[in-house]
Amino acid sequence: MILLRKFRVLILMVFLVACSMHIMIDLLPKLERQGTAGCSCAHTPSEEPVRSWAKQSWPNKHTLRILQDFSSEPSSNASSRSLDRIPADRAPGPQLPGQRVDRKRAFIQEAGVAHRRPAKGSRLSALFEHPFYRRSLPPLTDEDTLFNVNTDIRFDPKAAEDQAWTGEGTDDEFSPTGELTPESYPNWLRFHIGINRYELYSRHNPVIDALLKDLATQKITSVAMKSGGTQLKLIMTFQNYGQALFKPMKQTRQQETPPDFFYFSDFERHNAEIAAFHLDKILDFRRVPPVAGRLVNMTKEIRDVTRDKKLWRTFFISPANNVCFYGECSYYCSTEHALCGKPDQIEGSLAAFLPDLALAKRKTWRNPWRRSYHKRKKAEWEVDPDYCEEVKQTPPYDSGTRLLDVMDMTIFDFLMGNMDRHHYETFEKFGNETFIIHLDNGRGFGKHSHDEMSILVPLVQCCRVFSTTDVRTAPIDSDIQTEAAA
Amino acid sequence: MRRDRFLLAAALAALFSADFYFILLPKLQRRGHPERDICSCSPNSNLSLPTLETLATPQLSNWSHAPLLVYPSTPELDERGSKMQRLFSHPLYNIQTPELNPEERLLQVEQLIEYYKRKVSHWERRKKLHEEAASLANISFMEQKMTYDPDASWLKFHLGINRYALYSRDDPAILQLLSDMKNMTIVSADYTQDEKALKGACDCTQVVKPSGHHLKLALKMLNFGKAMFKPMRQQRDEETPEDFFYFVDFQRHNAEIAAFHLDRILDFRRVPPVAGRRVNVTGEVLQVAHSEDLRAVFFTSPANNTCFFSKCLYVCKTEYAVCGSPDLLEGSLSAYLPGLTVAPRISIPNPWKRSYTFSGREQWELNPFYCDSVKQAYPYNSGNRLLNIIDMSIFDFLIGNMDRHHYEIFTKFGDEGLLLHLDNARGFGKHSHDEMSILAPLSQCCMIKQSTLLRLQLLARSEFRLSDVMRESLELDVLRPVLTEPHFLALDRRLQKVLRVVQRCIRRLGQNEVITKDFIKPTVTPQTATEGKKSR
Repeated sequence: MILLRKFRVLILMVFLVACSMHIMIDLLPKLERQGTAGCSCAHTPSEEPVRSWAKQSWPNKHTLRILQDFSSEPSSNASSRSLDRIPADRAPGPQLPGQRVDRKRAFIQEAGVAHRRPAKGSRLSALFEHPFYRRSLPPLTDEDTLFNVNTDIRFDPKAAEDQAWTGEGTDDEFSPTGELTPESYPNWLRFHIGINRYELYSRHNPVIDALLKDLATQKITSVAMKSGGTQLKLIMTFQNYGQALFKPMKQTRQQETPPDFFYFSDFERHNAEIAAFHLDKILDFRRVPPVAGRLVNMTKEIRDVTRDKKLWRTFFISPANNVCFYGECSYYCSTEHALCGKPDQIEGSLAAFLPDLALAKRKTWRNPWRRSYHKRKKAEWEVDPDYCEEVKQTPPYDSGTRLLDVMDMTIFDFLMGNMDRHHYETFEKFGNETFIIHLDNGRGFGKHSHDEMSILVPLVQCCRVFSTTDVRTAPIDSDIQTEAAA
Repeated sequence: MRRDRFLLAAALAALFSADFYFILLPKLQRRGHPERDICSCSPNSNLSLPTLETLATPQLSNWSHAPLLVYPSTPELDERGSKMQRLFSHPLYNIQTPELNPEERLLQVEQLIEYYKRKVSHWERRKKLHEEAASLANISFMEQKMTYDPDASWLKFHLGINRYALYSRDDPAILQLLSDMKNMTIVSADYTQDEKALKGACDCTQVVKPSGHHLKLALKMLNFGKAMFKPMRQQRDEETPEDFFYFVDFQRHNAEIAAFHLDRILDFRRVPPVAGRRVNVTGEVLQVAHSEDLRAVFFTSPANNTCFFSKCLYVCKTEYAVCGSPDLLEGSLSAYLPGLTVAPRISIPNPWKRSYTFSGREQWELNPFYCDSVKQAYPYNSGNRLLNIIDMSIFDFLIGNMDRHHYEIFTKFGDEGLLLHLDNARGFGKHSHDEMSILAPLSQCCMIKQSTLLRLQLLARSEFRLSDVMRESLELDVLRPVLTEPHFLALDRRLQKVLRVVQRCIRRLGQNEVITKDFIKPTVTPQTATEGKKSR
């Protein structure tokens, strides 16, 4: 008995001694080290390398690409898929889109999740059943549509591929190719015809779903590089003469924009383009042209169908026997940033073209809250808290809904984290009484762990918002209130 | 029951003692050494230079000896002490080179001191100008006192350069130089010569960037010593992406450091000393930068870190900036060789140069008998030059450096001098891949120096295993761990492959053809000539 006890005591003692020694020798220094400014010393080579000194390593875009198996159902691509995954801790029921965004973002970080198609009765369809999403537009006159259906037939571009080169449609004679009912038009044309003063497309438009499907599956007949852009974009022309803007995958889903990057040196992400379209649709703005993701075969669908010498010249085979190219542009078009397939498949986003400028002129406006695009200089709005007063007094912001549209755009950009909205466009035909087109959203969704409050400055300074938007983004708005009060 | 108890107690005791012996004891020992400051992870290397300048060559080189006095033994060492120490006391590492006549030294003392004094007076003149300019422009220019020091470690390093090697095995000045580069105040920062030579011209269409495009700076120390600073561009655990060609690979600061240590362990001694250091980008570079151009590339990032960039690569959008966090940035400092005015060097294209295009192939990649034509051509047809090239290819293969397009030699030593292994920053990029084509000179020519082969065989033995010696050697650097574990293992694997290539050659051609004698066994009176005597 006594032995047993002694023995227990012995064991306990041994444990105590060992434990206390470990605490003294092992844990305390570690704790102390945590207190010092982020400097840790690895004592053995096998320990993890010191990371805190250099977080600025160049993003490595050549990491393994996870090729998602896009289904042929374009409406079920990345962002909309996430919407039917109901978290267990929330009660089902109509949910506000503002909350949805976070989940969507979270989804963007994870690639290749097995997906289910939104079933009937999913949250997405429940959302669109909601009364807020059932407001109808005022009746449209001829003045309110971009194209008059009866006269628009003349604009059907001629069946020539030269289009892709000039990017300028010419009003040549139209050669009839069968019946001329609007229903027989290709989807991209029907999308164009549907544009009106208030929206790019209507709420439950089957044409848009069909157009997304077209973008993801149609045969690509020619490819050209887009000039003038900062980063590499390709113009793709399809079999049915529709055109789309292709942005290749530059970053994996998991990568975040490094903290030291300025907004103007950030990469353009193809998945941000896709997600922006869906977000815009869910917010019921409908101001982003349809975008679909697609796996493109670099040899068959880019190299072999391009007549662009400059683009063709940059194709090469990498040491790992993958097909790569880098194109020609001012940002990240060099061998160090070559886009490589595995072995020749590359992911990208295809955004439907808006009607040709020759047919529907667009006006480009400078965003009053444009950033300085300079490493050290600040923009006016960053130093003047009453900047909005000045804006409110200058046309076109002094009347109509323009200022409120800018507020909508601000909210949209903040949700995505897009700091790169230097200009916006409108259709010239509608004058100042029209919506803003949200183009070029590739720089959104760069950091999921950081909310860039400076994007919201227009809202904070002006403190005005559409009542319709207000209702839809109620949870966000409460944040603004506190922000503005602070 | 009792037996069980006894067993249990025994087991516990064993566990505890093992724990104590292997984990706690080393930690305790390590803690026993006070550290200089919070962030410096290396023990205080109070290197006392040997005061007794005896003529006898020390049996145990100071190299390994000095730091080990203050360095506790780590668990991976066996009872018989450090592997590195034993390696350097091995007879193979103590072959005495013959007495050097003045002709075989690179520099004369008077010549160098003269040059140094000129530099000091030049500096004084420039300083005055700068002070005036700074007061006019209202720049916060940190003015440092410069000291003239005829005993400076870099001077000794320069004086020690001879026909056979950049430094001798037991030169305390090298240790001093490493610690100077680690700790000494930086008084001036500037662009390197090859960057200045570009005169700010940027051609973004070039696929292969000239060396001046790369981000590196020349830093001047308090005692006028100069070092080339290459900042950290890649995390330790990152590998070169598989789609990258060798000419678009990153420059790694840790590869520079590790290459110096490897070169010393292989006893080539053809890489100038390199030390790691955490540089304060603001205080030690920006505020001591004299040129306006260099100041212009500094900015503060959105995360409030100080960053700077290489002008051309930034303009061409191929590379972003490097940033401190917030100002501290680790990098490698490699000691400058004597200036080209006092010790001219020539750069010679490597016969096994690569094509530097996406698809091109060079002759040597297609023709297995390429070496025969090289052997016919000057300067490879006589003397040691080809053997030196093969040494270099073995060194490059071990570090995985495919970017050796040129090598440099000192003009003074002519064709029989040493080959300098400069610019090794593209080594250690992939630990999972051995690029056999780097070994082409060895596998095609099938010849190797006996001294090199003997050392390689020695390093393949378990008691001197290369990875262990390297690990131990790199422990001395501030930026520990310099290499990750897979890279150490890759060194062993590559060494085996080198030996296998030699074996295959011997089987094909016989020992006499393959192994070239290049030294005499150490004797009591070292009067006979050693390396390179075959040519005479």
